[in-house]
Amino acid sequence: MKRNKWIWLVWAVVLLCYLVPYALLTHVQAWYGSFLFWTVAGLAVIALNLFITKEFEEHGND
Amino acid sequence: MTESLIWWSIAIYLLIAVGIAILSRQGKSESMSGYFLGNRQMNGFVSALSYSATTYSAFMMVGLAGLTYAGGVGALGFEIIYFAGVSLVAIFGPKFWAVGKTFGFVTPSEMLGHRYNSKRVAMAVSIASCLFLIPYAAVQLAGVGYLLQGTTNGAIPFTTGVMLATAIAIFFSYVAGIRSVMWTDSLQAIMMIVASTLVAFLVIQGLGGFTELFDTLATEHPQSLTVPGTGLFSFITFLGLTIPWFFFSLSNPQVSQRLFMPASLRSMRQMLIGFLVFGFIYTLVSVLWGFSALAAFPDLESADLATPSLLASEFVPPVLGVIVMIGIMAAAVSTIDSIMLTLSSMLARDVYANVKPGASEKRQLLVGKIVMPMIALLALGFAELELDLIAVLSVAASSGLVAMVPAIIGAFYWKRGTAAGTLVSVLGTGAFVLFIYAIGNSFLGLPAGVWGIIVSSALFVGVSLATQPCRTSADAFMQAVDNELSRNKGKKESPTYEGLSASPGKTP
Repeated sequence: MKRNKWIWLVWAVVLLCYLVPYALLTHVQAWYGSFLFWTVAGLAVIALNLFITKEFEEHGND
Repeated sequence: MTESLIWWSIAIYLLIAVGIAILSRQGKSESMSGYFLGNRQMNGFVSALSYSATTYSAFMMVGLAGLTYAGGVGALGFEIIYFAGVSLVAIFGPKFWAVGKTFGFVTPSEMLGHRYNSKRVAMAVSIASCLFLIPYAAVQLAGVGYLLQGTTNGAIPFTTGVMLATAIAIFFSYVAGIRSVMWTDSLQAIMMIVASTLVAFLVIQGLGGFTELFDTLATEHPQSLTVPGTGLFSFITFLGLTIPWFFFSLSNPQVSQRLFMPASLRSMRQMLIGFLVFGFIYTLVSVLWGFSALAAFPDLESADLATPSLLASEFVPPVLGVIVMIGIMAAAVSTIDSIMLTLSSMLARDVYANVKPGASEKRQLLVGKIVMPMIALLALGFAELELDLIAVLSVAASSGLVAMVPAIIGAFYWKRGTAAGTLVSVLGTGAFVLFIYAIGNSFLGLPAGVWGIIVSSALFVGVSLATQPCRTSADAFMQAVDNELSRNKGKKESPTYEGLSASPGKTP
């Protein structure tokens, strides 16, 4: 699979950013509720972008 | 903090920033791409810091902390969705970069005009961008005004702060165009991230540590840790806030123009990843500021005072408070000068040069430089209106700019897209969003932020299908993306290739 297809995983994370806090975490009134979820989602986005853009490294300066 | 400490700190900051701006000059830029794009030779590190400083404005430290104070953890979700939206750069960045190099585009509106073979498209996109971005710049200016007024207890009045920021922004843009803007942005970004993280650390320590802070919130403000929480972040409001911001990296020309600038795709990657790391830290810090203010000062009369109250509190040593305050002012300036620069390049390139065909690069540049302070003064006027709720107002700008998104996606992925589709979508959506704001930001129960993308997509697709596309320009455009990217890809293999060609009997 081409690397840029993995962008769909980012969009899946975005979808979860709507669903999980609004459907599953509405009663978790603590740091390990929505706060932690969105923080982890942010880290996942960074990791996915690192992966997706890895091929950019091959396009050296010109 | 005393008034004299603040003024002295501002003077020192200006001295350093002006020095950097002047050092950033590299000969005289007489071409549009030299002045507005740094000759498409910007390196990844500076690009990353500047992209961050441009995107994260006074809105973050004042607005997002305020939004967290007022509505709780939903503010973090809002910002993380925006942040995830910047991943669009991973997909569209190389495409923008490739066509920019091939056709010499200076502005995103010029790119759309070329792709849809219509000067009117370029002009409409430019003018619509001005219409929405000048109020957005005004929001940043107002942020500076509130901040200086709040932290000095009115010793530095709102108007003085606003005028100071405008003057600095004009100066940074004038010295060396995008080069001085990017280098001063970088200084500001580093200052912001270091000082603000330090403040978050000190304040949280002062409040008894991370666990203690969240325990206080859980007992005294339990709803701040969930959505919809206190009610500010109802699901519909959340959608209305997040959808336009998700598309920010494409819809806002002051950041999409940055995709033309990196020296290589490697630099673009550094820009994207650097921005994401910066943005992640900055987002968490701003949200933690808002939470800390909620725990420490639960009875503020306005949420926008959360940050100033925190900075003036006993937890933050005065010198650090002043550094952060200047960092926030610098953040606003770095957003405004980029907006001014982008808008003036659009007006010169896509409006002036299209009205007066044959206008030389030099002439376009002159027009751009004349327009720049005018944009700043308009923003100053808006800021003086002293509108409340910073975050919500800047989202109004994003809702309107979302109108460009279907045409941008269509430019690269849908050959059937037409100039008429783009024009109707950009102008129609702009008007529709303004109409929704005029009637109280709710139409059939949905806010402008949700309607923007629905209406613009429907208009773009519907009108495009009813009109004839310009096949030749679409083909040439898409072919250019493939050619440029595969040409570059070939370069990676060039050592092997050269090795082969060096061997006897093989021709290159």
